[in-house]
Amino acid sequence: MSQPEFRYIGQHLPRKEDRRFLIGAGRYIDDIEVPGALHACFVRSPHAHARILSIDLEAARAMPGVVAIVTGQDLALWTTRHRMAPPIDGIQAVEMDSLPIERVRFHGDPVACVVATDRYLAEDAAEQVFVDYEALQAVTDMRHALDPGAPLVDETLASNLVSHQHQAIGDVDARLRDAHRVVESVFSQHRQTHVPIETRGCIAIWDEGREHLTFHIGCQVPHPYRTALAGRLRLSESQVTVISPDVGGGFGQKITLYREELAVAALARELRRPVRWREDRMENLSASTQAREDLCRTRAAVDANGRLLGLELEILEDFGAYCFYPGNYLARVVAMILTGPYKVQDYRFDVKVVLTNKVGNAPMRAPMAITSWVMEGTMEAIARELGLDAMDVRRLNMIEAADLPYTMATGEVLRDVTPRETFEAALAAIDYAAFRERQRVALAQGRLLGLGLCTVVESTTYGSAFYKSAGIAGSGHEAAWLRIEPSGAVNVSVGLGATGQGYETALSQAVAEGLGIEPSSIRLHLGHTDIAPYGMGSRGARGGTAGGGVLYLCALDARAKVLAIAARKLGLADASGLRMVDGRVERAAGTDWADSGLTLADLARIAYLDPLALPEGMAPGLDFSRTFDPPPMTYSNATHACEIELDARTGGLKILRYLVAEDCGTVLSPVVVQGQQHGAIAMGLSGALFEEVIYDASGQNLTGLLADYLVATATELPDFEIIPMHTPSQFTPAGIKGMAEGGVMGAIGVISNAINDALRPYGVVADRQPFTPMYLRSLLRGGEAAKENST
Amino acid sequence: MDRQAIRLHINGRDFDIEVAPRKLLSDALREDCRLTGTHVGCEHGVCGACTVLVDGRPTRACLTFAVQMEGHQITTIEAVAEGGELSQLQQALHEEHGLQCGFCTPGIVMTFEAYLSEHPDPSDDEIRDVLSGNLCRCTGYHNIVAAIRKAAKRMRGDGHVAA
Repeated sequence: MSQPEFRYIGQHLPRKEDRRFLIGAGRYIDDIEVPGALHACFVRSPHAHARILSIDLEAARAMPGVVAIVTGQDLALWTTRHRMAPPIDGIQAVEMDSLPIERVRFHGDPVACVVATDRYLAEDAAEQVFVDYEALQAVTDMRHALDPGAPLVDETLASNLVSHQHQAIGDVDARLRDAHRVVESVFSQHRQTHVPIETRGCIAIWDEGREHLTFHIGCQVPHPYRTALAGRLRLSESQVTVISPDVGGGFGQKITLYREELAVAALARELRRPVRWREDRMENLSASTQAREDLCRTRAAVDANGRLLGLELEILEDFGAYCFYPGNYLARVVAMILTGPYKVQDYRFDVKVVLTNKVGNAPMRAPMAITSWVMEGTMEAIARELGLDAMDVRRLNMIEAADLPYTMATGEVLRDVTPRETFEAALAAIDYAAFRERQRVALAQGRLLGLGLCTVVESTTYGSAFYKSAGIAGSGHEAAWLRIEPSGAVNVSVGLGATGQGYETALSQAVAEGLGIEPSSIRLHLGHTDIAPYGMGSRGARGGTAGGGVLYLCALDARAKVLAIAARKLGLADASGLRMVDGRVERAAGTDWADSGLTLADLARIAYLDPLALPEGMAPGLDFSRTFDPPPMTYSNATHACEIELDARTGGLKILRYLVAEDCGTVLSPVVVQGQQHGAIAMGLSGALFEEVIYDASGQNLTGLLADYLVATATELPDFEIIPMHTPSQFTPAGIKGMAEGGVMGAIGVISNAINDALRPYGVVADRQPFTPMYLRSLLRGGEAAKENST
Repeated sequence: MDRQAIRLHINGRDFDIEVAPRKLLSDALREDCRLTGTHVGCEHGVCGACTVLVDGRPTRACLTFAVQMEGHQITTIEAVAEGGELSQLQQALHEEHGLQCGFCTPGIVMTFEAYLSEHPDPSDDEIRDVLSGNLCRCTGYHNIVAAIRKAAKRMRGDGHVAA
């Protein structure tokens, strides 16, 4: 399982991006100086659900520095409504005003926009906008969203059920009927939000003469964003340039076109002055997209040995008040890939997505985060109920090399994955037998230790075929160009949107490998829609496979042409005996290679300035472009292991050790990949243990500050041990598989399993995240009686 | 609101600016002095991205008014790499991949430039304790801790006993 032989791919190179960030010379949205720019501030609903009766702007308009104040009525004239109506069975078509006109649907919904000469003055004036509301009953608990008589979040729908899909494969009823045991488990995942340290923000500059909008925004998907923005403003895509500078984190929150951003763009055009907006942290926590919040239930039909015979999954997801994405976008994928590393062919799922009076949902790093927790929690439950060792139950059901390619019940195909190998590697590294002995000794001393394991099969890169089979609108392709300039300088671009991943480093290594030059000599241009090609941007973990893959293919095209020019120059019939290494052409000399004396710069000069020296019929220049639609789905896999100690008196939890064995195929940059592993695990642990968006029963958001919405700090997180493994994909360029979200999946599953292992003497099960000390302590106290009775 | 003329002493230079009394130091640095390396992440003192040094001590620029700062020495991230050369701490963060999106990085650098000058040999627990005042959403902190440990070691002279 060693990495294949590459010269530049896989090199341990520190990041190209770092220097500018380290010296304070990064360029984020707020660092861009735009003379004369006005500042926008939004007036937001204090109610979760209310009718707008009137808006009094008089006092605000008289405030110093105010240039304009607009409401949904104005925006309706200048923009089109948002319509979400993908042709997918079970999805209700919905529409959204550019700003609410008649009703607000969550605490924080924007109702007016104040534009003033500076941000302080805009905020002053926003406080003087008086909106008269008629408060309405709110839906704040998804479990009651479908009750008869529940208030309708969207009055145009018949119910709050915005998306419903189900599928049955095999004969699950028969498996449940004939099973030795049916094991039922529930998993409750709470609402979270992305919390990029840089909040959202944008700058709109309208050129009235050219009738052109330049829109600066930190964005993961510059081109699809431009399509949406131009369409909503009734502009052509040739009239809008979207520029995404350095971005202080995205994690899925910076994909969709938000109403605030559309309003700022429309205002710049109407006022013919640049307008900028910076979201403050309270707005970010209460009005930027949120994520997760779902309830899963599994019923597993098993035989006496714990073999999984059939499986049923139900998901209920709280999607919030508005559909910024299709309703099936997040939960459907969980259902399709649930079984992951385990074999079962009789499977059915039912996925219901409901609207509530909360912020609308978005993908957040691992939108399918709950998957591995549900599957591995189900394995643990089977072992617990049958009195078996959970590791034995896993082994009995796990896909092994001989099973590959393995087609899941849903039709998803696993190839080149190694769940059994990562499982055994993690188990060996944590020393399972020794742990059980330590645990026994500790328990005798009144200390609760727990060990969790969680094997993840991560869907990293969605090809167009997957989107189609999952009933999700969209394309999975990516696009790149590569230009070798007359001097031999190499410029490249791809349609991704960087938000801190280290693309300039990792993707340079893919280009370097394809072309045969040093990564340091490559300049990557990202995030500018007039420069980059139209790609689908950054989401999921597609950067490596789709972005790195298309750049690698494009670089191979470039190398072929460059070497063909070299062959002509050297008087050879073809380029078969030539290669490029570090920007120099080498020719075969017996079993060895010898320098030809030609460099990339020599050949570039010929291509541009001496075209008569080119091979016959070859066009001048060195300008390449390429698109690439990845295989339907590419999977990575990993096994996380975690040892904890639980304080029986306080419910406090300490992570004693955390390790992960991860196989993500060919790794472009081991530096970047390790950083992504750490970051994903951290986000998973932070979410499972601390973070929670809390709405009270009336729909008030109680977590509008970082003092209330708790993100893990350095003192709560452990060191991470990584066991890297590399089984390349045979179906992607260079064998790249991608990664970056599986760490979240593994972390929330492994911490759950570790906690339940520690709770075992108490006969209780933690099935509701976040695992706060208060919750764990209540479980421990509830379990005291059971423990007393059994001893 | 009436503006007030003040003189700020930042990175060894004087800046004469006019600001309203309510203007935050973070906004004055970024907007009036065009020193945009100091980042604003929460404006309520939790995230630590805006940390600068005031008379050598780490301070939240978002919880400080600019008009309070007359007569004080302010140091921002722009002054750390003297002559363009990365400090030991910056270099170690680069080598250990202790930053990703870079938004929280200036605040972490300022916090630990001050801390390491007074605590040359911190334990990992002490590093994590001090680092808990800075939120990072990308790295999981592991590599930041490793970088600070490495920088401290180098600043002590690579473990050699000082002459």
